[in-house]
Amino acid sequence: MSIFILAISMYGNWGKFLRVNLSNGEVKVEEYNEELAKKWLGSRGLAIYFLLKEMDPTVDPLSPENKLIITPGPLSGTSAPTGGRYNVITKSPHTGFITMANSGGYFGAELKFAGYDGIIVEGKAEKPVYIYIKDENVEIRDASHLWGKLVSETEEAIRKEIGSKKLRIALIGPAGENLVKFAAVMNDGHRAAGRAGVGAVMGSKNLKAIAVEGSKTVPIADKQKFMLTIREKINKLRNDPVAGGGLPKYGTAVLVNIINENGLYPTRNFQTGVYEHAYEQSGEAMAAKYLIRNQPCYACPIGCGRVNKLPTIGVTEGPEYESTWALGANLGINDLASIIEANHLCDELGLDTISTGGTLATAMELYEKGFIKDEDLGEAPPFRWGNTEVLHYYITKLAKREGFGDKLAEGGYRLAESYGHPEYSMSVKKLELPAYDPRGAEGHGLGYATNNRGGCHIKNYMISPEILGYPYKMDPHDISDDKVKMLIIFQDLSALIDAAGLCLFTTFGLGADDYRDMLNAALGWDFSTEDYLKIGERIWNAERLFNLKAGLDPAKDDTLPKRFLEEPMPEGPNKGYVVRLKEMLPRYYALRGWTEDGKVPPEKAKELGIEEFV
Amino acid sequence: MVKVKVFATLIKLTGRKILEVPAGSVGELLEKLYSTYPGFEEELKRGFMILVNGRNIEHLQGLQTPLREEDIVSIFPPAGGG
Repeated sequence: MSIFILAISMYGNWGKFLRVNLSNGEVKVEEYNEELAKKWLGSRGLAIYFLLKEMDPTVDPLSPENKLIITPGPLSGTSAPTGGRYNVITKSPHTGFITMANSGGYFGAELKFAGYDGIIVEGKAEKPVYIYIKDENVEIRDASHLWGKLVSETEEAIRKEIGSKKLRIALIGPAGENLVKFAAVMNDGHRAAGRAGVGAVMGSKNLKAIAVEGSKTVPIADKQKFMLTIREKINKLRNDPVAGGGLPKYGTAVLVNIINENGLYPTRNFQTGVYEHAYEQSGEAMAAKYLIRNQPCYACPIGCGRVNKLPTIGVTEGPEYESTWALGANLGINDLASIIEANHLCDELGLDTISTGGTLATAMELYEKGFIKDEDLGEAPPFRWGNTEVLHYYITKLAKREGFGDKLAEGGYRLAESYGHPEYSMSVKKLELPAYDPRGAEGHGLGYATNNRGGCHIKNYMISPEILGYPYKMDPHDISDDKVKMLIIFQDLSALIDAAGLCLFTTFGLGADDYRDMLNAALGWDFSTEDYLKIGERIWNAERLFNLKAGLDPAKDDTLPKRFLEEPMPEGPNKGYVVRLKEMLPRYYALRGWTEDGKVPPEKAKELGIEEFV
Repeated sequence: MVKVKVFATLIKLTGRKILEVPAGSVGELLEKLYSTYPGFEEELKRGFMILVNGRNIEHLQGLQTPLREEDIVSIFPPAGGG
């Protein structure tokens, strides 16, 4: 009876993590109390707490000492809109800092149905294995026969082996096995926890997949209140012109034309912000030519996912806006069919499309400038802008680390550095930048420079206010304190949404109060919006502390590639602009309550209750 | 004549991606588009993004933003992604 009371004493979260040590095969269920949940909420929050508590941040990311945490949030697996997200959190082999890669689909919700708030994977298996979880039953199984297989082949083989239709699988492809620095963890076929090499960490542990099926219902504190709240929020999303209009109709690639017309669509490795063939690879063009239906994730009323059909590869999912750009305009490639095929290939090999495209773009500029020479490539295709042959050939080679692909597998920064010109890598903290030239949105540029995982857009999406006008329109070239404060709110709110287990796209339609309502009803808490944002701030600061301990040097690392600081945008509406980072960064540190040199001071840590980690 | 580029759902209403319309301001241009293309006004009722030569009219003079012969106006219904 007491166990039963304990089991329902927490809502939303189960209060249980699965700890799997692959070195000795030990599997444990560990409980944590609600006080910890009240401090960290869940997922991205609890994960950084565990990492700071248990792991030395200076460990080699590809060693058995690194820990890989796979974790949905308290609203994952509930009927909250988009409640199917999970995070993969670990020390990145690409950046050397923290990474928190997020994915949708159905895996995260299923892990909650099995009764866990996450899995902490430790050590390294002697030979390839996969983890099979069916509620309380957890097995480490041999995966020798799966090693080397593509993502779809692996999923199919595991399904056949276990014989359950309910199974949801998170896994790596050959890229993760071969420790490609930007390998992704894939799930549900084409969904990716993509950024900063979480797949390589999984590969370094000889862990091919985690297959899960569960039979439990996530406990909700006040079911009736929760249902009413959820209904209201779903209606808000359905009535929002973006979440209920543009996104489901054209997918995320609806942004191609918007960003291009605003003059910040990075073209040919960010040499300019206007691409002459943008329309041909836009969401509008995709819908007209190849789209057969939408593919929503778990409990999602938006449904932005694309299912496309091509004569060559048949039915596939994607590409998203970022992938369309990374494998398109950034390489000077305009053929949408080639882009869709390349995206499919990245999914099958288990690669982050942004870093794949960013690395190829770096190679193309190094070739253009004469640093990579034809004799370096032999019979392989030349890295010429617009050469579609580059896509299939080098994506396959880099996933297998064959020939020149072995250099590419290290990412754009290390590639450019090996030629003595790291300035041609458009990356921050070695992570390749996504599809917005910061010279056209300077607050977004400050976001790139200060993001805890490096060159990432999604954890501080200033494109919303600076370009799209959410929650209100801000001038992209305003660099006042208001802009810096907005960035800090976006960073903290994104951390909160990730920790809750929801999709960041809900911010088109929902505000901070809406997340408070859903969380309070589900968890049975009486937190204010400020209390929740405080959790977001705590997470952001804790991640910063992890990075500082891992060796982050703010003077060197909180920056942007020289191109954005010194080369004015050559054309378009942002012609003549650079990013005035030096004017914004000191104010960012001050408004964060950090020291002038970007450290979290003890008094700030104390205010957030994380002084034990300073 | 002002060159007008329309996107997303607006293309179906105009039948073309690029139009040429005589107009002295953004407001006048919108009135002309509303009266010429049924459904255009409805499509922008819940918001829009209008750029003149790539600059958002919110940071120019809004609907009063003047237009000259060579100007390019881009019109989007509400949309976003990430």
